[in-house]
Amino acid sequence: MLIEQCKIIRNEEIAGGIWEMEFSAPGIVSYYTGPGQFLEILLDNKWSFTVRRPMSIANVEEKRITIIYKIFGRGTTLLTESKVGGILDILGPLGNVFSGWQGNYVPILVGGGVGLAPILNLFRECQKHQIHSKLIIGAKTGREHFMDHDPSNGIFLTTDDGTLGNPGTVMPSLKKVCADIDNPMVFACGPLPMLKGMQDFVIQNKIPAQLSVESYMGCGTGLCQGCAIKRRNVKEKAHSYHERYSLVCMDGPVYSASEVSFD
Amino acid sequence: MTDLRIQIGNIEFKNPIFTASGTFGYGNDVPDFVDVSKLGGIFTKSITLHPREGNPPPRIVETPSGMINSIGLANVGVDHYMREMVPSYSTIGTKIIMNIAGSTLDEYAEIIRKMESISSDIVGYEINISCPNVKKGGMEFGVDRSLTAELTKILRSLTERLLIVKLSPNVTDIAAIATAAEECGADAVSAINTVVGMSINPTTWKSNIYTVFGGLSGPALKPIGLAAVQKIFHSVKIPIIGIGGITGSLDVIEYFLAGASAVQLGTVNFQDPSTGERMIDELETYCKDVSIDSISSLVGKVKN
Repeated sequence: MLIEQCKIIRNEEIAGGIWEMEFSAPGIVSYYTGPGQFLEILLDNKWSFTVRRPMSIANVEEKRITIIYKIFGRGTTLLTESKVGGILDILGPLGNVFSGWQGNYVPILVGGGVGLAPILNLFRECQKHQIHSKLIIGAKTGREHFMDHDPSNGIFLTTDDGTLGNPGTVMPSLKKVCADIDNPMVFACGPLPMLKGMQDFVIQNKIPAQLSVESYMGCGTGLCQGCAIKRRNVKEKAHSYHERYSLVCMDGPVYSASEVSFD
Repeated sequence: MTDLRIQIGNIEFKNPIFTASGTFGYGNDVPDFVDVSKLGGIFTKSITLHPREGNPPPRIVETPSGMINSIGLANVGVDHYMREMVPSYSTIGTKIIMNIAGSTLDEYAEIIRKMESISSDIVGYEINISCPNVKKGGMEFGVDRSLTAELTKILRSLTERLLIVKLSPNVTDIAAIATAAEECGADAVSAINTVVGMSINPTTWKSNIYTVFGGLSGPALKPIGLAAVQKIFHSVKIPIIGIGGITGSLDVIEYFLAGASAVQLGTVNFQDPSTGERMIDELETYCKDVSIDSISSLVGKVKN
């Protein structure tokens, strides 16, 4: 982990409200360990934005990193205005990685909304290792998609409004894909309701799964203790530390589905 | 060569740049790219008698030029701290001040008794009498002059190490509380802790913090911190450690001019925990530029 001044190589809208940015980050890349890891980006140095913004790594190519982000608020809007050749102050790489996808399972990769970056990263990694995975990407509407719906190659797009790919959330598609496979393992990242639905489904059906959790973050280094998430099935004790709550920045962002609680 | 050394009680620090409690872990768990040995000292996160999980999320939210936190004193507890953290301080290369918090007078005392029963490299204790995050405990000591006095007196009788009382800004007369701490034997006061704040989501109509209120920190606090330090400076003789919204070396100079003898960096550590080490060179340059030999000669020199 280090803080690096990264030169922006590309910053463009790839679908409605979805942006992709590539920058040079040789230092951060030298510590990178795999899909799942994330960065903390400082939006400006004038304290208009106190906390860095966590962004998952979508791709690493030589000494360059790509992120994919959705316009969400003031901060991400400002990020869209970053010019090629400009410099971003970035802390990383942070967090743990997806694991088990190289085992005896068929990886089912599910990304929704802003959570598709680490899933696409894992998809590419599977391709590199010639592991045949299935990819399910969900969006509210067709214009938010930038890939092709290609079921024969295991790529399924879904839209809440049915304007592209399979209609509905990612869940019906996931259930259908899992039903056709003997030994699926689910890897998912997305908004909270999606992760919660995912968790219920995989636990009920005893499907191994890893979920990448998003959290409001203050520092990314464990110092602020802000990104707490409740652990699942924890015995309440009168006095404990780090047993009821986990810190997403240090222990995550990737958790086994049975580990954390979204309630 | 400018002299950046400062003195608090009988302890000399190599420079006046400290890190604030709750923003720098236990000192031994900061990222590798930070060279903590350059710092004048590290104030640990608040340690309590028993381990604490802290508050449910959401615990933090960004605000204009700052943030609100309500972590709830999540920490490992004094026994684990003594066993697992304290031994690492012998090679850490800077001075450690342990911040302690309690919900009764006895709890504070018990922590210090435990710490004093072992040999350690800790040079002192900072007493958190002012943390506004926890519904139970903390708050009442810091807003009450006589409780602050009683607590300080008890803890003073238990240790020869530095005793630093960290003051709350959420009081009517911060100088009066500082005076009480001084009269009862505190070696220094730190000012200020976070200011009680709130942030509301206009879509959900909920507070952005689980505990409703939290502690506001960051540059938004600097004018409040400076005013508090200046007020205290006119009331006490013991050193004041200035805290609140410091992000650069010129902020440090402002705090010195207001009356601080040292400073703590807080929220800036969340953006970049190596900020403090860079500030030290900048302070030397500033002192050279204005032709002063010792940074201590700036203390309280604001021209009013």
